[in-house]
Amino acid sequence: MGSYLATEEQVSTWLHLLAKERDLFWPRSVGQFNYSFLPLGERDEICFDRYLPTIVPPGRRLLPDDETLFTSQQGDDRLSHYLPPQPSAPMVLAGVRPCDLKGITQLDTVMAAAPADPYYHQRRVNTVIIAMNCLAPCDSRCFCSAVGALGAQDGADVFLTLLAEGVLVESLSARGDEILVKASFSLCEDGKERRLVAEGTRPLPFGRELAVVPEALPEMLRKGYESPVYHRYGERCYSCGTCNLVCPTCYCFEVRDEMSLDGFSGRRSRTWDSCMIPAFAEVAGPHNFRAEVGERQRHRLKRKFEYLPERFGLGSFCVGCGRCGRQCTANIDILNMVNDIAVEVGGGS
Amino acid sequence: MSKDAFVDAGLYLPQTGRIVAIEQCTVNEKFFRLELTRPLQHRPGQFVMVTVPGMGECAISITCGPREDNILEMVIRRVGNITAVLHGLEVGDTLGIRGPYGAGFDLEEFYQRDVLIVAGGLGLVPLRSLLLPMIAAHQRFGAITIITGARSPAETLFRHELADWREKENVRIIELVDSTDHYQWDGEVGMVTAPIGSLVLDKNRTMVVLCGPPVMYKFVLLELEAHHQIPATQIFVDLERRMRCGVGKCGHCQINQAYCCQDGPVFRYSDIQNYPEGLA
Repeated sequence: MGSYLATEEQVSTWLHLLAKERDLFWPRSVGQFNYSFLPLGERDEICFDRYLPTIVPPGRRLLPDDETLFTSQQGDDRLSHYLPPQPSAPMVLAGVRPCDLKGITQLDTVMAAAPADPYYHQRRVNTVIIAMNCLAPCDSRCFCSAVGALGAQDGADVFLTLLAEGVLVESLSARGDEILVKASFSLCEDGKERRLVAEGTRPLPFGRELAVVPEALPEMLRKGYESPVYHRYGERCYSCGTCNLVCPTCYCFEVRDEMSLDGFSGRRSRTWDSCMIPAFAEVAGPHNFRAEVGERQRHRLKRKFEYLPERFGLGSFCVGCGRCGRQCTANIDILNMVNDIAVEVGGGS
Repeated sequence: MSKDAFVDAGLYLPQTGRIVAIEQCTVNEKFFRLELTRPLQHRPGQFVMVTVPGMGECAISITCGPREDNILEMVIRRVGNITAVLHGLEVGDTLGIRGPYGAGFDLEEFYQRDVLIVAGGLGLVPLRSLLLPMIAAHQRFGAITIITGARSPAETLFRHELADWREKENVRIIELVDSTDHYQWDGEVGMVTAPIGSLVLDKNRTMVVLCGPPVMYKFVLLELEAHHQIPATQIFVDLERRMRCGVGKCGHCQINQAYCCQDGPVFRYSDIQNYPEGLA
């Protein structure tokens, strides 16, 4: 689990080497302003500059949209036979920021809770993560520090930090050691110290701030259950579900069956779903347990700051990446919503 | 993520069940008996995910009591796409079954206690999985009172069984309909809340189980509180939510902190009475 110092060019060569063995995803610029985790091609240049969080977080690669749960085939016995999907290929997620890294470890815990999700598990154990440290907030939406995600290293196999003197490459696991065998970086005895010095240059506050400490949020949200804030934000919400689709810790899915035209074979898949869509909690009757848009906003927010943190004991499930606010057509920002509730409930500082 | 945690690779794969009997219960409800490839080994109050090949999957409560053989019984209302196809199936057709899922009831907790069951509409369907073993061993329980409610006599379920159960010395059954709707009716007319006030219940030894449409719980609980003050730890509610996976992953059935598919659908009322979405 050593530390190394390398030039950007050396790291780039190493990543391209890894990408020859398996799919390696790196944030690539798409369009004018956006980034996306896309497979690194032979000729693709790697940009080490600061980049905005990708629209879709990297963890979604572990829980892909439209994932096959099984294929079915009607046999000569007229019975349907259900076959599991092909195992997915090994991959590398590289350039994962601490917020997204924390999101992935949160997903790990959720998906490992009994009964464990077999398909997520299979992908995860075949995934190597090369994380990339943040020394400055990515943009004005960032609040990773406020929710304790900035320092995340758990779950990463290799951790990169851009220093003035080069790229610090820290191996954090046996798998990290394994993929670093191919690299020819020079050993760095005082890697951790150098990283801490670099992290010491971070601006304070780092990004936006919460009006209360994260630990106080569950209690505050219970007190503010009937808060009009949810409904005020809800008034301009289109219930489109974008906030859920871009969230690193949203994992809810809908299940869908398709039949082939031959009428004998089919496939069941799961697709990303959103608790902001009106039909999400609808049952026969019909009865909708969250018919109001404000109720759905409350549910989304409480899942991030109260329900899931308390159920899994991992702290805030909001990792402060700012994606939901950045992508929202109506500029509904989860941090603004929490802080408004804090002011109203009187939990604010 | 640990590499050696137990992972069931077949979590999302159904087993095959063959329909061996179908009965039309009412205009909208059909009874299905399936033979599975292995015993279901369920507890009362649990549910299964039913796959109609090519159509989809939905959560259906188990209506038979725990049993040793490979039989699964369900009563299914024709209400959407999948249930419409289910209603068109015939004996010999096959379905996919996953489960059983959910926490269910612990029958032993009811031993030596008086039991009050309040079932509205289809509520009797899941509660039959509790009532069958309870009636079969009725001497082990105190007084068993069953209140059932339906919209009209044409929508009542399991009347023959209710008539048999009524013969047991410690079983009392009150059958109600909202209106007789010009049908012949030998039961009572009114809401399931109506008889509660006049029941004689010992709050220290009575266990209460409720299952019905969402609107029913609040009013039955108000009546219970007004007349009997039975502690919330002795009251169970069997709830319904949209369930897509049955294993606590898809997120649809969440009730505040709880997942209906894993923590429920049978909840001890004291566990969810502070959840604003619980009985909404």
